[in-house]
Amino acid sequence: MHESVTYIETSIGASTCTYRRWRNFLNTSMEGFLWICGAIGLLLPLSIFGYICFEGVNHLSISFITEYPKGTPLGTSGGIMPAILGSFFLALIGFILSFPFALFGGIYLSEYGRETKFAHVVRFFVECLTAVPAIIYGLFGYAFLVVFLKFGVSLIAGSITLSLIMFPIMLISIQEALLSIKDEYREAAFALGVSKIYIIRRVLIPRAWPSIVAGIVLAVGHAIGSASPVLFTASIYFSKGNVSLDQPVMTLPTHLYYIVSEAISMDHGYGTAIVLILGLLIFNLCAMFLRKVGSLKQ
Amino acid sequence: MKLIRGDTISKIISFIALIVGVSFLLLMLMFFFKESSIGFNFNPNLKKFLFQEGWSPLSSPPSFGIRHAIISTVFVSGLSLLLAIPIGIGIGLFLSEIAPKKVQILIQPALELLAGIPAVVYGFFGYAVFVKNFEIWFNMPTGECVLVAGIVLSMMVLPFIASTSAEAFRNVPWEYREAAYSLGVNRSYVIMKILFRKALPGLFAAVALGIARALGETLAVLMLAGNSTEIPKSLLDRAQPITALLATELGETSIGSEKYHALYSAGLLLMLVVLIINISIWLVKKRMKRLTYA
Repeated sequence: MHESVTYIETSIGASTCTYRRWRNFLNTSMEGFLWICGAIGLLLPLSIFGYICFEGVNHLSISFITEYPKGTPLGTSGGIMPAILGSFFLALIGFILSFPFALFGGIYLSEYGRETKFAHVVRFFVECLTAVPAIIYGLFGYAFLVVFLKFGVSLIAGSITLSLIMFPIMLISIQEALLSIKDEYREAAFALGVSKIYIIRRVLIPRAWPSIVAGIVLAVGHAIGSASPVLFTASIYFSKGNVSLDQPVMTLPTHLYYIVSEAISMDHGYGTAIVLILGLLIFNLCAMFLRKVGSLKQ
Repeated sequence: MKLIRGDTISKIISFIALIVGVSFLLLMLMFFFKESSIGFNFNPNLKKFLFQEGWSPLSSPPSFGIRHAIISTVFVSGLSLLLAIPIGIGIGLFLSEIAPKKVQILIQPALELLAGIPAVVYGFFGYAVFVKNFEIWFNMPTGECVLVAGIVLSMMVLPFIASTSAEAFRNVPWEYREAAYSLGVNRSYVIMKILFRKALPGLFAAVALGIARALGETLAVLMLAGNSTEIPKSLLDRAQPITALLATELGETSIGSEKYHALYSAGLLLMLVVLIINISIWLVKKRMKRLTYA
């Protein structure tokens, strides 16, 4: 670039040709670079996903999903049923704990407290918290729930920790979903003389439903996949698969972490990874279906 | 009358729900300060804790400096950003400027897929693909090192940088491009001289978001960086970023001990850095809004 500028300044007539050639070269190489970037953006996800599916599919069987871990050391044979159960219940309880607060909180921010100083402060604070790394939530869960409240390493401590991770993500997406509905709908409903709860219940929530579900999927999917918050609050190396609130559970991500870091079994690692990924994929598909069902209602 | 009462009740319920949720998060911040403030006290010399002492809890007297963790974090996330920022911004430009509609429709969900894969699966992928091969290629006893962690981490932050920067380029008004092209300049000129300048705040947000992600990533780094308390000197050395330090040590720490407080101080440091990054993104966004309205 720099050379070309000096060329122009010194001898415009003679070197226009060189300058143009340089410009064309720059343009072509930049477009080439961008196409390569685009190819990376497309091929990298597909190859990672394809690699794990390709390697993992051999280790996937009915018994792998329905049996307990067996063998010495544990995890070399058998299945991962307790981990599937543990991950499922952690996410479910965490969701049940945080969704009502996120829903009503989002409604307050968008419908009652819109454009107030309070709403801005809360929104800023919550946005900051979505950026806080998951391990920080894990540390808090350990210090506050496990140690201070004496819950011990247990399902309930892990679920509360996960609910704290889900809450800000869901709150923001619900608020945005409600804010994106045009005011005409509210005005038309008000003009008919109905109350605000009626509008929220029958007009706003059905309209915002697809975006609300998208936010839930984002939050819950994130929570299912993250190991760092449950590492110290809920997870255990091996459990018999009985789920109770005051007992620790196995989870899919931590199970994968344990068997890789202890170098127990690569085969089981592939199997667990593919179960985790396919589980998330199925969850996403269900949510897409739910979005359709919800939006048909309008 | 009944209508109004119902409305007040719903308003109060939703207000309470918001307060409860947010206060729980506030509690988290306060608790962190409580658990770590002692950490800063017992290490009255903050400089010593951050930059001078090594991490050797078993020696006598034990020392709990996190110098090696800070250096490792800078190494690993720096390397990952060095790889992810050019490619991520390139993907952003490709999506907003060059890609035909059909290609865009393909790449967008592919990036979402990349963002949706859990960190631990990335760690496993890196372990299965890179660590095993590094042992052969570079003749290393164990393949875990800064380079592997950096490469895998760059894959993890790539989708965030790509989609945020694509958004930033798309937000540049179409008229600028039309005006430029009508003057006969080519695409590289438009990109370098117009789009980059106009999209700068958005690009800053993309990079800052990437940095925040890279700093806070735990599982992949824990599995791939090698967990050694030595200070890494080259790309093929083993390292232990702050998040890996926390995840490794917390499980075997007695509550209330010096080590416990030192760990929470390290966590607080991490949280503060991420919060500062986030606040700066927010300030830039606010400035951007003012500029577009003016």
